Amino acid sequence: MRQFISVWLMTLLVGTVAIGSGESATAADDYDYDLVHSSVSFKARHLGISWIHGRFNDVAGKFSLDREDPSKSTFELTIKVDSVDTANKARDEHLRQPDYFDTKQYPTIEFKSTSTKVIKGGFEVTGDFTMHGTTKKVTLVLMGGKEHDFKKVKRVAFSTELSLKRSDFGFDKNAIGPIGDEALIIIDCEGVRNS
Amino acid sequence: MPDPLLYLKAMGAAGIVSMTFVPAMVRARPRAGRTWLNSVCVIGFGLGLAAGCCVLSLRLRWPPANGLDRLLMIVVPAVLGIEFIAGIQRVPQWAAWLLRLTLAATIPAILLHGSIYLSGHDDEWPLWRAGVVMAVCSALLAGVWSLLAWLSRRSAGVSMSLTLCLATQCAGLTVMMAGYIGGGTAAFPLVGALIATSIGARLTLPFVGVPTSFVAPAIPGIGVVGLFGLIFIGCFFGRLPTGSAVVMLLAPLLCWISEAPQLRHQKGWLIGMLRLVLVAIPLVAVVVVAKHDFDRGMAPLLEAEHE
Repeated sequence: MRQFISVWLMTLLVGTVAIGSGESATAADDYDYDLVHSSVSFKARHLGISWIHGRFNDVAGKFSLDREDPSKSTFELTIKVDSVDTANKARDEHLRQPDYFDTKQYPTIEFKSTSTKVIKGGFEVTGDFTMHGTTKKVTLVLMGGKEHDFKKVKRVAFSTELSLKRSDFGFDKNAIGPIGDEALIIIDCEGVRNS
Repeated sequence: MPDPLLYLKAMGAAGIVSMTFVPAMVRARPRAGRTWLNSVCVIGFGLGLAAGCCVLSLRLRWPPANGLDRLLMIVVPAVLGIEFIAGIQRVPQWAAWLLRLTLAATIPAILLHGSIYLSGHDDEWPLWRAGVVMAVCSALLAGVWSLLAWLSRRSAGVSMSLTLCLATQCAGLTVMMAGYIGGGTAAFPLVGALIATSIGARLTLPFVGVPTSFVAPAIPGIGVVGLFGLIFIGCFFGRLPTGSAVVMLLAPLLCWISEAPQLRHQKGWLIGMLRLVLVAIPLVAVVVVAKHDFDRGMAPLLEAEHE
């Protein structure tokens, strides 16, 4: 009888834990970065008078949106620097060299959120931004976040811009030259909910 | 952006420091012998290189952040330390060569540390492939190092140092023209320090009772490791073609042709000239090809950036 009660109590405990964890899993929706409908582009000043535009073609990421407790939402993005594309092959090759991105040493640019809060029209996400081997805390203002069902697949999109100085991330000042130190990264990200 | 005047200043600064230090220290202890001469060459080279890097304002960081940092802050100091120890006459030759070969075996791993080649996550570079490539590179380095060290003992002279300087300078230019400007610039202080150390030591030999044919054993080692390191980072982190890299690394071995029976008893200056010409031929060919590629790919880009 005592053994039966212990087994019954154990079953009840395990069941409660399983239901509890199941509830927390369903509270947040997990999304994968949709490469087809997203873009990570950048622009940098040329001679201080115009802008050079480029983009990264190979990006991956995921985010988890918790509508009940948005502070538990998380965002991650990984950019393969080798995929840099400025519509000029010679310049792209030059940008991959150690004088600039040093893609053999630092193959990725990464962002990983550490805190999230809701703002009007989106989220303010603070996290670790790693580029060229240097990690700095940055805050992204993600605008958007509305859900859209398309062919029974839930999608969410965000847009943000990040201004940074290349010299803050260990880029050689001697190599900055006519291309300005400051660069603007523009992220338009559409996420597809994991089924 | 490339600044030829700055590069010449860096080379000049490295040369002046080494050329001042080596003769001054050698003449300070005229009876000290070969160990002192070798030690002075090692320190003189190191000081000259440091001065040249200061003029270039090379951004070296600790811990080293890239291949060039690791070359200048780990590999070059390591070879200087080893050659300093190896030059002490009480140190047996087998122990000196054990140290040199250990360094030769580890240099590729040091230079590739933290890169995609050793991460194991890159599809093009599984660990076994990286291991094989590093082993081949180490074997090449050890081979060139030992053959040139043997040649310098067998038939010494300042010409071998000059051929190493020529190869290093051509490697620097080729690396720069392949798009890795920062890596190639390191050649200028390396060459300035090596050439001044070699000539400075040669000029003081008559005053210290050492045969004028003597070459400090440190010089071939430092020259070969500097040349190898520059080519290696240009090849693996820049876009230096493998064929050009191999030709430039092996070119100094052409000095061995002067050991042919018909040539080896010729006058010293003739042997020296022959060596320089023989080594220069493949190096010039590599530089010409690199310039051609540069004119097609990079030059229009740099011109557009300057407009």
